[in-house]
Amino acid sequence: MTDQTAPEISNTHAKAGYWTRVARDGQKMGFWFVLPTLLLLVFIVVFPLLMQLYLSFTWWTPLEGIPWYQAWEVFNWGENYWYMVTDPRFWGALWRTVLIMIVAVPAQFFLGMALAYLFIDQFPGRKLFYSIMLTPMMIVPAVVGLMFFLLFQGTGPINDHLGLPPEFSWLTDVNRAMISVIIADIWQWTPLMFLILLAGMLGVPSDQLLAARLLGGSNWQNFFKIILPRMKTVIIIALVLRAVECFKIFDLVFIMTNGGPGVQTETISVFLYNQTFGELEWAYVATMGLSILIALSILAMKGLSYMAKK
Amino acid sequence: MSSIQIQNVTKRFGDFTAVDDISIDIEEGEFVALLGPSGCGKTTTMNMIAGLEDVTEGAIRFDGQDLSRIRIQDRNIGFVFQNYAIFTHLSVYKNLSYGLEVKKVDRSEIDRRVRAMADRMSIAHRLDQPASSLSVNEMQKLAIGRSAIVEPRIFLLDEPLSNLDAGFRAYMRAELKVLQHEFGQTMIYVTHDQIEAMSLADKIAIIDQGKLMQYGAPLDIYNDPQNRFVANFVGSPRMNLVDGELREERGELHLMLHGGAEIPLAGKVRADFTSDARVHSGSFGIRPQDIYFGDRRGPTDITMHGKVEVLERVGPKRLAYLQVQETMFLAFDDQAQLEVGDDVPFFLPSDASMAFDLDSGRRLGGR
Repeated sequence: MTDQTAPEISNTHAKAGYWTRVARDGQKMGFWFVLPTLLLLVFIVVFPLLMQLYLSFTWWTPLEGIPWYQAWEVFNWGENYWYMVTDPRFWGALWRTVLIMIVAVPAQFFLGMALAYLFIDQFPGRKLFYSIMLTPMMIVPAVVGLMFFLLFQGTGPINDHLGLPPEFSWLTDVNRAMISVIIADIWQWTPLMFLILLAGMLGVPSDQLLAARLLGGSNWQNFFKIILPRMKTVIIIALVLRAVECFKIFDLVFIMTNGGPGVQTETISVFLYNQTFGELEWAYVATMGLSILIALSILAMKGLSYMAKK
Repeated sequence: MSSIQIQNVTKRFGDFTAVDDISIDIEEGEFVALLGPSGCGKTTTMNMIAGLEDVTEGAIRFDGQDLSRIRIQDRNIGFVFQNYAIFTHLSVYKNLSYGLEVKKVDRSEIDRRVRAMADRMSIAHRLDQPASSLSVNEMQKLAIGRSAIVEPRIFLLDEPLSNLDAGFRAYMRAELKVLQHEFGQTMIYVTHDQIEAMSLADKIAIIDQGKLMQYGAPLDIYNDPQNRFVANFVGSPRMNLVDGELREERGELHLMLHGGAEIPLAGKVRADFTSDARVHSGSFGIRPQDIYFGDRRGPTDITMHGKVEVLERVGPKRLAYLQVQETMFLAFDDQAQLEVGDDVPFFLPSDASMAFDLDSGRRLGGR
């Protein structure tokens, strides 16, 4: 019966078959072309992650002298994860990192926004101030750490300027050490916020702003009704970028306080460092690193999609 | 609603003088067009009226009041931008309501006025849609409606029709005229299109290179241009303007054209050219529709001979390009009697001809 169908139809079928075959061959060829890159990516990204996952389930440390591929001999069925969940020092470090984030990022955002607003209009010396504004961001974080380490010394310029005695310590005080670190972070990363927000603000069409002013909108009204809504995407990007970056804070803390006094300024990164080189608990470090990576990824995705919806 | 006095206004950007000593009086409720070629300073003048640019010298008064110290947002000036500057992130409704919301007008009042304005501008069916989804024509209506809703003291339009397609432009031109009557607003309109200016405005200010060339009613400007620039700029097809040297021979005054031809001057236009003894080179102007063929109609009409080079159809009429030596005259072939290649006499009525000083561009004599 089907043999009775018109010859054109079977012909087109043959044609379609031919083209899908070409497309499939093309895809095959494309596969071979991208394979080297794929392998490289697997090696660079996937392999270390898998290794980290694997090691996080063992007791592997350099003290045992076991090569990494034999680490299965000390497999511990996820005890590291249990240990992490019950480790107060881990939670402390995590909390302090989050604390830096929830204080520093909003501060950087508001300062950056205010500065960007000042920079939309032309004024004499704008270029010079612009360059100066961006300088902190360009400095190596370790150097910034050292700068603030010196500034916050008991006999340093800050105490001197505020008229405080040398005994008034910043970096070795239980509460003020954290404040010092946060101040340094704000100083260094406000410029990035400023840069991103200024770019976003300059992207708001100037004639629409003019139109809004001519319609009688005050600067505040126009800012909230025209500028801010138009900057939504840029703001989301800037906030997420800085929030994620905050989790990486290491150099500043390491040089200013080395996590001290005690563990009062120990952030996740510093804690990981201490665990790696102090305690030599490599498998435990792998556990924490992986957990934070997963948690951060989920949070960033949730945050992005939530803010994009708003 | 306000009257506006622009008094000796000058605007300089560094060494460049964009607007040079312009004075214009605009009556309450008048519709004035600022007309001129691109870069002539008309938009700068408009921006100064709106307060977007500072005035370097002179003053702009609204009902006699100087607003230069008042902030833009408090001036209550309606401004329609060339590209409309619609708030594309807001809905059509929010665009219309913006000017009222920022003044904290009552919600129900806002709603009533927004709906009335949307009805008036026939965009009511689009109210809840994002403004970015509107067509260019609708954006134009929205831009006008958004400015009109706050009942500004004056209304400024910067080339509002230049982005529209031809059909809608003609419609919008008529619509603007109606709107102006409805709002009873003082309106200032910037354009480089003389037809728009002629058909819309109560008065036209023609500006060239920052200087006010002429200010008056469209017909006065058309019939009685005060200088060569205005004569050349206004009218379609353009006025014939031919330049040459004045030469008197045996009591006859001739304009020896630079193209080699000569015009034997007579009657009124001769008197115009001789009204200023210092003038030696002049420009002779006559509109294409004033030139005629056939029999000579007046004793002082000037007779010329030319060869028909091209015949061009312009609507129901034909426009003839008449070559006299190296000079070209444009004339309407009103009797449809010419053929290309004909060597024909044609006549320049002396009363309809205009005389200009070539050096200063100034009109000699007068109507």
